[in-house]
Amino acid sequence: MVVLNMQPLADGQVMKPTPILDIKGLTVSRSGKVVLSKVDLAISKGEFIGLVGPNGSGKSTLLLAILGVLKAQQGTIDIYGHKPMSRNILGKIGWVSQAAAVMPKNVRITVRELVRLGTLNSRNMFLRRRSIHREKVERAMKMVGLEEVAEHDIGRLSGGQRQRAVIGRALASESEFILLDEPLVGIDRESRNSLLKLLDKLCHEENKTILMVSHDLAAIRQTAHRMIYLEESIRFDGPTEDFPDLTSLAGLRGIEPVHGHEHEHKTPVSVVIQTGGEDQTKKEEE
Amino acid sequence: MGIGMIVLDLISPVLEFIAPMVPGEIFPYFFTMEMFQRALVAAIMVTMVAGVLGSFLLIRNLALIGDGLAHVSFGGVAVGVVLGASSPLWYALVFSVISAIIIHEMQTRELLTGDASIAIFLTGMLALGLVVLRVFGGGITSDIEGYLFGSLLLIDERSLDLIATISILSLISLMTLYSGLLSTTIDPLAARVQGLPVRAIGLVFSILTAAVVVSMVQVIGALLVTALLVTPAATGQLVGRSFRSCLIWTQVFGLSAVFLGLYFSAEYDSGSGAMIALVAASIFAIVAVFKTIVIGLINPKDNF
Repeated sequence: MVVLNMQPLADGQVMKPTPILDIKGLTVSRSGKVVLSKVDLAISKGEFIGLVGPNGSGKSTLLLAILGVLKAQQGTIDIYGHKPMSRNILGKIGWVSQAAAVMPKNVRITVRELVRLGTLNSRNMFLRRRSIHREKVERAMKMVGLEEVAEHDIGRLSGGQRQRAVIGRALASESEFILLDEPLVGIDRESRNSLLKLLDKLCHEENKTILMVSHDLAAIRQTAHRMIYLEESIRFDGPTEDFPDLTSLAGLRGIEPVHGHEHEHKTPVSVVIQTGGEDQTKKEEE
Repeated sequence: MGIGMIVLDLISPVLEFIAPMVPGEIFPYFFTMEMFQRALVAAIMVTMVAGVLGSFLLIRNLALIGDGLAHVSFGGVAVGVVLGASSPLWYALVFSVISAIIIHEMQTRELLTGDASIAIFLTGMLALGLVVLRVFGGGITSDIEGYLFGSLLLIDERSLDLIATISILSLISLMTLYSGLLSTTIDPLAARVQGLPVRAIGLVFSILTAAVVVSMVQVIGALLVTALLVTPAATGQLVGRSFRSCLIWTQVFGLSAVFLGLYFSAEYDSGSGAMIALVAASIFAIVAVFKTIVIGLINPKDNF
């Protein structure tokens, strides 16, 4: 099922095509605490990357730094040859927030209205000629398979459909590089599968580059070509098939067998990825 | 001649044309006599703008900011009256706009979350007004009461000009900012990634809110501003399916409240502001009950 467009190299350093995202020695701190330290990461066009790690490991911080919302303390982020938030890359990056958490439920807004918001940018926000954008909006809704519910209020959609609508918004800007934050939260199994299929299609047929954060390790391994395991810094970066199993992952995280230790979890290794409790215990020890 | 009087000149032939068809004994004067016409035109303009603004306030979870800024305006009016200003509404405008900017900054900088900053300004400025009136002025005179509960028939040409200017400028601004406002409200981070000036839009919106609230004070009264700002928009949300249709429904409900409210207040000699607010709330109640019953009948087993 997994077809690689290009061969991502394990160390992410020497890539044949010029990377669209090139991060060097990135350190980011939030409220005085270092969340990311010395992250090096290069992403090329057409890659589908799963970004995993426990709660508070800096996944969201990394995304926000790429978007330019958080400032780097050290290091550089180069995206399409520019700094984050630069006017030159307007519209190239699509942000897909977690619909379950972000989409307000009290707002009456249809799928079409939401997707249309994706065509906005600082140049056209005041004077908008609808006709220019209509085709983009239709195409985006078709891509995410929501053209039949275009006039439905997003509050009445299922979790999966709502997440698709948010993806549709990002696609309407015709962005090439799509960042997703936990899109699988609050979505039933069937919707999850079709959502992953959609992302796979976007990557292969539309040649989009996808960077997706998820807790759902099993799901993301099915789809992503390349996996990144982040915990303050990048602990693993390589093809999905090389991604360590749970026991080696524990080693990667510096977790030793705990028999005899005072831990509340009986099987810490399997819990590690799912919860933050384990993570906090570790932080306290540091 | 200001914008207000120009609008009045344009509309008065229409009003006079409708007048013979208007029911009631006193209500038709709103369509024929200039003093009443001024009141009606002001009420219509303010209601239309308030409906659009209120729809955005509602989805931004800022339903009570109108109330807060109205109290601030009252403080401004009181200071203006004490200083002997001929048009105390200008003082209200300055007070209201400055407070709106500070409230907005406090909320975006997360100094105070949610309604707390509104509550502080509301009580602080109201108290300032009351103290100033008591110490330097004549206390709550009927003039002052007009600003608290609305004094539609006391709207003179200068007030109408101010109201019309604020209404027209605000409506144009809200329409130009329509997509930007919707985008920054629904998903601020996505809007920022698209390159929209999220903070600037929020700031402009706050200033517009402050101005519109001031324009409403004489029409419906500082204590009742929310009735035209939020109630029609909330009723619209019960009926509409898209944001656009909610906006249209809001206008329907808002204008109905104004016309019915003025009719009842004219015929039964009650205060216009209070009657409009009462009608607006009644419309909301009727629509809400009707919706619940209708949905219950159509789809008895659905859960809402």
